Amino acid sequence: MFRGRPRTRFVTTALAAVLIGATAACGGGPVEAEQDPNAALDIWIRKPPDSPTAQTARDLAAAFTEETGIPTEVTAIFEDFETKLQQAASQQDLPDIVINDTAQLSTMAGQGIVREIDPADIEGGDTLTPRSWDATRTYDGKTYAVPFSAQSFALFVRKDWREAVGAEIPTDWDELQALAEDFTTEDPDGNGEDDTYGYVVPGSTKRGYTAWYYSSFLWSAGGDFVTASGDGLAPAIDSEASVSALRWFQDSMCDGTVVPDAVTLETSQAHPLFESGVAGIYFTGPYMMSRFDENLGADKYEIVALPAGPGGTSSVLAEGENVYLMAGSANEAGQERFAEFAVSVTGQTIGMAGDTAGNIVRLPVNTEVAIGDVRTDERWRIFDEVYRESGRYVPTVPEWTPLLQASAESFNTILADCGVDVATELGALATTMAEELEKQGATG
Amino acid sequence: MTTTGHPVTARPVDAEPVPSPGPARRRRRFGPHALRNLLVAAVFLAPALLIFLAFKFIPMVRAVEMSFHEVRPYLGNLWVGLENYRTLLDSDDFLPAVWHTVVLAVGQTGGSMVVGMVLALLLEGGARHLWFIRTAVFLPTVVALAVIAEVWRVLYYPGEAGVVNSLIGWVGLGPSQFFNSADTSLWSVMSVGIWRGAPYDMMIILAGLAGVDRTLYEAAAVDGATIRQRLWHVTFPALRPVFAILFTLAAIRGLRVFTEIYLLTDGGPNGSTEVIMTLMFKLGLDRSELGVASAGSIMLLLATVVLTLAVQLARRRRADRPRKEAPSR
Amino acid sequence: MSRTERFDTALGFTTAKGPVMRVVRWLVYAVCVVVFAGPLLSLLVNAFTPVAKPTELTLIPDEITLDNFARAFDRGVLGYLLNSFFVVGFGLLLQILVSLSAAYALARKRFPGMRLVFLLILSTMMLPEEILAIPLSLVLADVPLVGVDLTGTLLGMIIPVAAWGFSILVMTEFMKEIPVELEEAARIDGAGEFRIFFSVVLPLCRPALGVIGIFGFVMIWDQYMLPLLVADDAGQYTLPLALRTLRTDPEVGLGVLLAASLLALLPSVIAFLAMQRQFMKGLTSGAIKG
Repeated sequence: MFRGRPRTRFVTTALAAVLIGATAACGGGPVEAEQDPNAALDIWIRKPPDSPTAQTARDLAAAFTEETGIPTEVTAIFEDFETKLQQAASQQDLPDIVINDTAQLSTMAGQGIVREIDPADIEGGDTLTPRSWDATRTYDGKTYAVPFSAQSFALFVRKDWREAVGAEIPTDWDELQALAEDFTTEDPDGNGEDDTYGYVVPGSTKRGYTAWYYSSFLWSAGGDFVTASGDGLAPAIDSEASVSALRWFQDSMCDGTVVPDAVTLETSQAHPLFESGVAGIYFTGPYMMSRFDENLGADKYEIVALPAGPGGTSSVLAEGENVYLMAGSANEAGQERFAEFAVSVTGQTIGMAGDTAGNIVRLPVNTEVAIGDVRTDERWRIFDEVYRESGRYVPTVPEWTPLLQASAESFNTILADCGVDVATELGALATTMAEELEKQGATG
Repeated sequence: MTTTGHPVTARPVDAEPVPSPGPARRRRRFGPHALRNLLVAAVFLAPALLIFLAFKFIPMVRAVEMSFHEVRPYLGNLWVGLENYRTLLDSDDFLPAVWHTVVLAVGQTGGSMVVGMVLALLLEGGARHLWFIRTAVFLPTVVALAVIAEVWRVLYYPGEAGVVNSLIGWVGLGPSQFFNSADTSLWSVMSVGIWRGAPYDMMIILAGLAGVDRTLYEAAAVDGATIRQRLWHVTFPALRPVFAILFTLAAIRGLRVFTEIYLLTDGGPNGSTEVIMTLMFKLGLDRSELGVASAGSIMLLLATVVLTLAVQLARRRRADRPRKEAPSR
Repeated sequence: MSRTERFDTALGFTTAKGPVMRVVRWLVYAVCVVVFAGPLLSLLVNAFTPVAKPTELTLIPDEITLDNFARAFDRGVLGYLLNSFFVVGFGLLLQILVSLSAAYALARKRFPGMRLVFLLILSTMMLPEEILAIPLSLVLADVPLVGVDLTGTLLGMIIPVAAWGFSILVMTEFMKEIPVELEEAARIDGAGEFRIFFSVVLPLCRPALGVIGIFGFVMIWDQYMLPLLVADDAGQYTLPLALRTLRTDPEVGLGVLLAASLLALLPSVIAFLAMQRQFMKGLTSGAIKG
């Protein structure tokens, strides 16, 4: 490389110069923006562009502008929302408002891209359900968002199939399992072929789907991911109830009542299995109703609350969306006014979008909004009841994602291999979780 | 356009060695010609290098920098030294992921090249119907991966009614679980990779075949060579630059396999298809830990550089046998 | 032509005579097409069916509908398609020019630091895009040396793809094989560098042009991270971005994704057919002269 040397040196120097320039440009530090109470609000929502839901978000923003005179611009981003948000953060050019999943709370707070708020400052904050406020607090007890929408999950059951096999609506887990077996073996679609299954389960590890899906079942069986221990948390995933819950999952997989490709199934691949008649029981959210009504027919399926499990109760995953007030905004007063408007009766009603597919508020968080006044579709009441009576958010830990992901990997292992010993696998998971909790400083 | 028809000849390896001035490094003279060459080269290389500098090298340097930090744009980055690298290396899944990556890289590269070679040989020719057949065969390469993933989920449906299961059922095999069992998932993913990669290689090999001097085939026929001998002594040697490209590409791409796995199995079931990139995605990007993700990619980059250098060295050793060099005067 | 026909291909398989070979040949073709194109075609049939069943392949649907396309258009797919066309058109043109020019320097000149440059170019292909996203987005918002903000413009999706290591690599290998005598003759005739580049070397690169054209098209057409980082809103989306959204959008079914994919696929197939002609021309002209 005799000849190469001078050139190498030149390139190295150039790169070094560039590196210094780049570093200087991105020196961190909290950003304080000069305030302007009339500055336009940039609003991002995690919805597909050009979808009815994106349109509802624009309607909501327009109503806000009409009431307050503060201009708004709505951007709908879907699949890559988190990437775009990271990009905006690294350019220190965040939107003012983000409407996104409750699950993003601890990640966003940890990165310092959302503002802490005092619920008492939010006008009308006291009219919101206390449960919905739970989803806005991080482990250290600080509040980083205003609740906007809530939702819960329920069983979607093929009504025509159930009637074909002559079964009643299941009221406990044994009946549920018996129904799944009938769907698998009794040829419920009557095509003379053995090509149907009981459950659709999105059991891919992607985004922790396996653990996300089974969390309601785990809780209803009396099991849990983590439990309070002293001032902190300890794993509960290796408890007796948790182990027997996971055994139940493994059995349903291994006796063939779950669709055979469950362990690599993402939610988007799971929906077609239900609507095209591969399997007849699907535990999912109310957002699927408009699609299934269109592709399958509203008369072909019914919505059933998850029956109480061996734990004696029904405890169903609750989720929702929050309004996040982002850091570095030039109009912090405007951010708060938007949040207040979004949770007001007017804002919630616009967001619920009647019976249309455009709802961005699935279940209202404002106690003054009666769901029956806005929607005629009775099925929403089931989800509302489930949310109010058995809804349960994921545990509040400093960071939930690593725990969810580790659980998903373990659950996936248990489902994929009928020879795996559940107690041993969950024991290993508990060790991993304990280490992670320790790392997050949450062991008390 | 009088020169259009000139054949792009590849020199057969057995031909008379051409005396060559040898690589530049052996000559220490740095004359006005060399200077002129440097200037001309600089002008012709400038557009590419400037674009690379702005959109590749600078981001790359930034990624190196990020790999030593906990990245928090609004709170200020924290220097964490090698902590991000440790996070990755300490993960129990790291070594299996490296192993899966290597198995996949070797299997897919080899498989694609062999199948691509066979396809190229079978489908070479100027007839119009071949045009359409080649286009049909090339389809897997131009279809979005999201769709490919859905196709293969259908083909590989693990029930007895699944398409591939029905096919292998005829010869008394199966039903296989394919993606859904830890025993078969890696092979299933590899087959999809070969299915999508082979037509790609086929096109590059076809382009190479187009450059083979036809008179050599004729000469071989006159000498009474069999088809096998013709392939071995005329075609394959002439395809050397093509293999050079394919091997270099394989070295570069092999380790960063990601999208197929992400869409098909996301590393599951039971971690049986976890590769370096999907692991990194879970440890870094899923949790928005950009530092960890960067550390992973820097390690991947280093490994890739080493591998590429190895391929280049192996190539050079072979190429240092006499060959025509570009003019240096 | 007929005299040399049997020497047109390495194997002589596609030109072999006789009824038996004819049958064998068409059998081989059929297997190739069924294996590589069959699954895709049958899935695309599902773009025209109301509800796709994800466990079986159908080639003849029970019911044909254009609903999926209508819904895809509702989701703005037509606009995304136009954006994609614009980006791929200008991007590919630039990319070919830049690749040819760089390859000329690398294949035909010897200069100090050449190996380093070569390695640098290879290294640009080594880092996964998913990782470079954040640093790249900073660069796009403030391009070094010129200080322009490319976000929110289609130009931001074109300029970064104009230099592609793969094209440069392929072109370099091909140019190395072009005999130097022609070039030297032109130089003796007093032709300058650019003249030699355009009128001597370029015409000889035709078969390779087809190759980098095809691969360049696929590469730019499939770009997804770059448009994502550049686009400010859905108005600048390209088709791959829309496909990702449609894939996971719970409100639409698989059929809509397939309908949009079919639209995304057609231009690639057409481009492929068109550039294969170019590629073939290079091939046959070489054969005739040989």
